[in-house]
Amino acid sequence: MDLQSLKRKEHQKRVKKGFMWALFCAVLWGLWYLPGTAVWVLNPFDQMYSEVAASSGDGVALVIVAVLITALNAATVILALGVWTGVLGKFGEMKRTAKEFHPCSKWFFLASIFGGPMAILGSFIAMGFVGGAFAAVAALMYPVVGAILASKWYGEKVTKRAFIGIIVIILGGITIFGGGVLSEIGSGNVLWVGYLGGLMAATGWGIEGAIAGKGLDIAEPDVGLTLRFIGEGLIWWIIAIPMLAIAGFPMIKYAILAFEPLTLMVLIFAGITFGFCYVSWYKSFPLIGVGRGQGIGNLYGLFAVIFIFLFFGDVPSWTILVGGALCLIGSTVMFSEDTGEMESLRGD
Amino acid sequence: MAGNRPVKFRILELCGSGKWNYEIVEQIQKEYDDLKGDFHRDSINFDIIELASGGMLEDVEVKVDEEGIYKKGFLLHKYVLTDFGRIRAADACLMYV
Repeated sequence: MDLQSLKRKEHQKRVKKGFMWALFCAVLWGLWYLPGTAVWVLNPFDQMYSEVAASSGDGVALVIVAVLITALNAATVILALGVWTGVLGKFGEMKRTAKEFHPCSKWFFLASIFGGPMAILGSFIAMGFVGGAFAAVAALMYPVVGAILASKWYGEKVTKRAFIGIIVIILGGITIFGGGVLSEIGSGNVLWVGYLGGLMAATGWGIEGAIAGKGLDIAEPDVGLTLRFIGEGLIWWIIAIPMLAIAGFPMIKYAILAFEPLTLMVLIFAGITFGFCYVSWYKSFPLIGVGRGQGIGNLYGLFAVIFIFLFFGDVPSWTILVGGALCLIGSTVMFSEDTGEMESLRGD
Repeated sequence: MAGNRPVKFRILELCGSGKWNYEIVEQIQKEYDDLKGDFHRDSINFDIIELASGGMLEDVEVKVDEEGIYKKGFLLHKYVLTDFGRIRAADACLMYV
């Protein structure tokens, strides 16, 4: 076989694999909203909610329960990724990477602050109070935050095409948030905390993406992602949970009560889907380019809405469907521009 | 010398003046005791591809592996560090920069 046809073959193989990983990421990410929504009605979390609500009110109870759920989610993600890096034989590389504080672990830890207490906590809050479909679709606004930060921090130019994409996504965001809030103003009961959670998810993931890239591009992604979640685990289990326990909330009691077969199974399902959606996301980047990887990854919003409909029978309101469609169109416009990597992969 | 810094750091160091992927993989496997075997060989090669797609390495030459130095019948790639790769390597405090 000659050089040209071999080049073509290698390129096609990479692109095929890359699309597979990106699609895998979207499906897993969408699936994550199933356990994330279901866990709220399971024991001990609904019990915990009523106990805290009785003494401190609904709003506080919501956040406190969301903290415990997010902390347990971080723990099961660490477990899933720990098994993954172990099977791949990358513990040695993990030690070498963790020691590089200045170029690597510093960024992973910073990323975990925005990813964990902001994005994932916000997602759980939104799932608990507004619904899984809303939480999933609201987070679709994260590329806007990412693009703004990249232009502020790294002086990246926002092209005309990216700007159009941003406008479309923002219109989608207004539809999603505005539609929900308006219909609830009508019924006289607005769940502001839930909507705040949706905003936290979009902002947090946007910031996390901009920061994590700095450390991840010179580290092994499998290893880097595991370290990022270990960072998040430390924040929850060394800082947040003990502090809330000292403040008098029943954190420890309910954390132990979570060791119940059904609850544990749902939490582990959340850990596996969330952990591996990150892994497959990063695997897709070198094969098809970051832009395409993120664009396809964003189909998670669509998958989440479909899965929630299939498993819970919830039909989302039309504002979520229209807004979600706008966000998907916008992110496709934004990401499809980035063909640089594709060219260099083609090698001609 | 046993490798004690992350693999990608070492790859960036090795590519300063251009190197073939099989040379890089061979060198890394010699230096790192925990990365022997075919599985790690492919995994190190994927690290190189990742660095190239991140714009830190550039693919400057391609040839067919006729004799099976790396994988018979597949392509061999020669990579060289880019300017961006030099900046990122400097962030990681690599020596030669």
